[in-house]
Amino acid sequence: MKPKLTLLSAAILSASLSLMPALSQAAIPQAVDGQALPSLAPMLERTTPAVVSVAVSGTQTSKQQIPDVFKYFFGPNAPQEQVQERPFRGLGSGVIIDAKEGYIVTNNHVINGADEIKIGLHDGREIDAKLIGADPESDIALLQIEAKNLTAIKQTNSDDIRVGDFAVAIGNPFGLGQTVTSGIVSALGRSGLGIEMLENFIQTDAAINSGNSGGALVNLNGELIGINTAIVAPSGGNVGIGFAIPANMVNNLINQIIEHGEVKRGVLGVTGRDLDNELAKAFGLETQHGGFISEVMPDSAADKAGIEAGDIIVSVNGKKIKNFQELRAKVATMGAGAKVEIGIIRDGDEETANVVLGESTSSSGSADDALHPMLEGAELSNSRKGIEITSIAQGSPAARNGLQEGDLIVGLNRSKVKNLNALKEELKNPQGAVALKVLRDNKLMYLVLR
Amino acid sequence: MNFKDTILYLSKAVVFGLVMAAVFLFVNSITNNNSFNNGLTTTQHHNELSFASAVRRAAPAVVNIYSLSLDQNSPLNSSSLQGLGSGVIMSKEGYILTNYHVIKKADEIVIALQDGRKFTSEVVGSDQITDLAVLKIEIDGDNVPIVPINLNNPAQVGDVVLAIGNPYNLGQTITQGIISATGRNGLSSGYLDFLQTDAAINAGNSGGALIDTGGELIGINTAAFQIGAEGGGHGINFAIPIKLAHSIMGKLITNGRVIRGALGISGEPLSPVMAQILNLPDLKGVLVTGVDPNGPASKATLRPRDVIIQYEEESVPGVEMLMDRIAETTPGNQVNITIIREGKPLELPVVIGEKLPTDS
Repeated sequence: MKPKLTLLSAAILSASLSLMPALSQAAIPQAVDGQALPSLAPMLERTTPAVVSVAVSGTQTSKQQIPDVFKYFFGPNAPQEQVQERPFRGLGSGVIIDAKEGYIVTNNHVINGADEIKIGLHDGREIDAKLIGADPESDIALLQIEAKNLTAIKQTNSDDIRVGDFAVAIGNPFGLGQTVTSGIVSALGRSGLGIEMLENFIQTDAAINSGNSGGALVNLNGELIGINTAIVAPSGGNVGIGFAIPANMVNNLINQIIEHGEVKRGVLGVTGRDLDNELAKAFGLETQHGGFISEVMPDSAADKAGIEAGDIIVSVNGKKIKNFQELRAKVATMGAGAKVEIGIIRDGDEETANVVLGESTSSSGSADDALHPMLEGAELSNSRKGIEITSIAQGSPAARNGLQEGDLIVGLNRSKVKNLNALKEELKNPQGAVALKVLRDNKLMYLVLR
Repeated sequence: MNFKDTILYLSKAVVFGLVMAAVFLFVNSITNNNSFNNGLTTTQHHNELSFASAVRRAAPAVVNIYSLSLDQNSPLNSSSLQGLGSGVIMSKEGYILTNYHVIKKADEIVIALQDGRKFTSEVVGSDQITDLAVLKIEIDGDNVPIVPINLNNPAQVGDVVLAIGNPYNLGQTITQGIISATGRNGLSSGYLDFLQTDAAINAGNSGGALIDTGGELIGINTAAFQIGAEGGGHGINFAIPIKLAHSIMGKLITNGRVIRGALGISGEPLSPVMAQILNLPDLKGVLVTGVDPNGPASKATLRPRDVIIQYEEESVPGVEMLMDRIAETTPGNQVNITIIREGKPLELPVVIGEKLPTDS
């Protein structure tokens, strides 16, 4: 009996062993040297229906102004101002974030100026969308469609992603139709690029091209981590440097648009600069990442929470920040009234301040006012003769555009501007290049901001 | 034997068999895990595929390299930093590997670490042929991020790699791809030795790190394939293998330059036609096609149409091997070269000269 038992056990052992590979093969489809080779297909089957194409059309109007001399010579018979209308079409991508309500998020630059917005769904349906609201400074817009059987993208906390995580871009590059590209997260908290007014990008090497704008950047679980927005393209196409707006920032903005129809910018009420090597040394700090606070506005949100000039802000809601611009982008997109935990370093000790963000008085106001990305680094103030540039930061976009300390801004393109508010108003919808009329040493000149 | 006994007998066997199978599979899985535990596989900490741990190991040691230029148009003491490229901290002493072409035009070089620290640096040495340079910063030895390296693990085609650098001076960027092709590995003449990758490499990535999924340095990123003035973006990029870079670094630290031996000839591989014409038994050897009139070979009476078959009693299979052996020989040393001239073997003593950087 004993040998028989052993024999039978051996038979069953070998039978179960020979069964095992078949079973494990069912679980892991492919393997090389024992390492699983994952395919993105199962995740994409669930995820791609949530990404749509956005087709826009409209007419671009450009006014042709009649020079004053004409009016002088022809009097009332002078030719009327001509308005040129040119039809345009555009293509981009969008992401369904609420299947029940039909909410779709995309980039503002995709739908800017459009009269008609058509959504192309993954299943082939084409549906007209209406614009619920947009935030040009962060380049986010919210659309709505009326349709059944929509698939919404899965959400996740985009603060949890790390450099090195896989990232998958889904969109409609060059209008080719839905396209999936893969890469990794190349960097986080990227700012200072001069693409948007508020920047806090995720950088990725997944191929992003024109038409991908407004599309989804997802993780391996198919959860939205960002909205693809821009690329660095020295020769026009992708070179492996793309930028996406983090999902958390998008959600903050969308919630405000849904609630108020617009973005109520949160304001901390501080001015400051990046913490750099020299400042860190001067203050005896170990960290070199953060925003140095040089001034706190009285009665501002920061003031009420006890933040003082000289503090260094190192984190927002427990997430470390790299520089002042990242702080600015985060605060400005969180929405007025948002409760924020700000981590600061004061006299070498880490402390936290609980801040309730104030509301911006002007629509474009934020942590520190930059009127135009290319004016960044210039401090402006109203003076009797015009808008005076009181100081200018070395190597800043403003300095690179040729502005100098003491310059007086007296006009923009062809209209006069008298004060900061007027300039702000004119710069609200900058289209292409902006020419500043500047008075320098009693000489008038035009500086073109690019 | 009744029915109950049969069941008992069968179930004993089944249970024992299954237990043995389970034990076998368990042991098997442990050994498997050990041998394939690098980077890409899921780790115990995160149940997720990511290169984050590899990035954490290597990225702090990859630095941004700037040139400091005084601004003529601005008030005194103002200066601006111009982004040049990237570099990799190799040792506690603060030695940094980068490309020669990154630093060749700079007067004053500033190194910026990822934690914000900035240092001025000196050039320890540079080598035009391999496009490598070594810089040194004075840094507190207890707080230096060093890149992990493994010289005995050559990269292979198909390996997943990450490029770390500072493209367009945007700030540190990690891109991912695979090894697309490799040249030879670990040789010192510098020619044809490269790694090709499709990980995105752009202007500013030069001198940065190419790492494997375990975070270990496998190459120094050097160039992107360009079509005309169009720049990169074609997915064809090159890196210098770490074994070559590491040996060049050692020489630069010791001598400030790479001292290479030179013979003063040009040669080519033996073609079947030439082998027949010269009546040689096989295709091994290097055909001398030209002799520098002032070079060591000329002094040793080597002439065109000689075929070098041995270098220091070692047979010469091809051009690359001969080039490496000559380069590795200390200038001034005498070596014996065996050639075939007019069908007869002949041994010639040659005093090896030094290869000058301007030589091609």
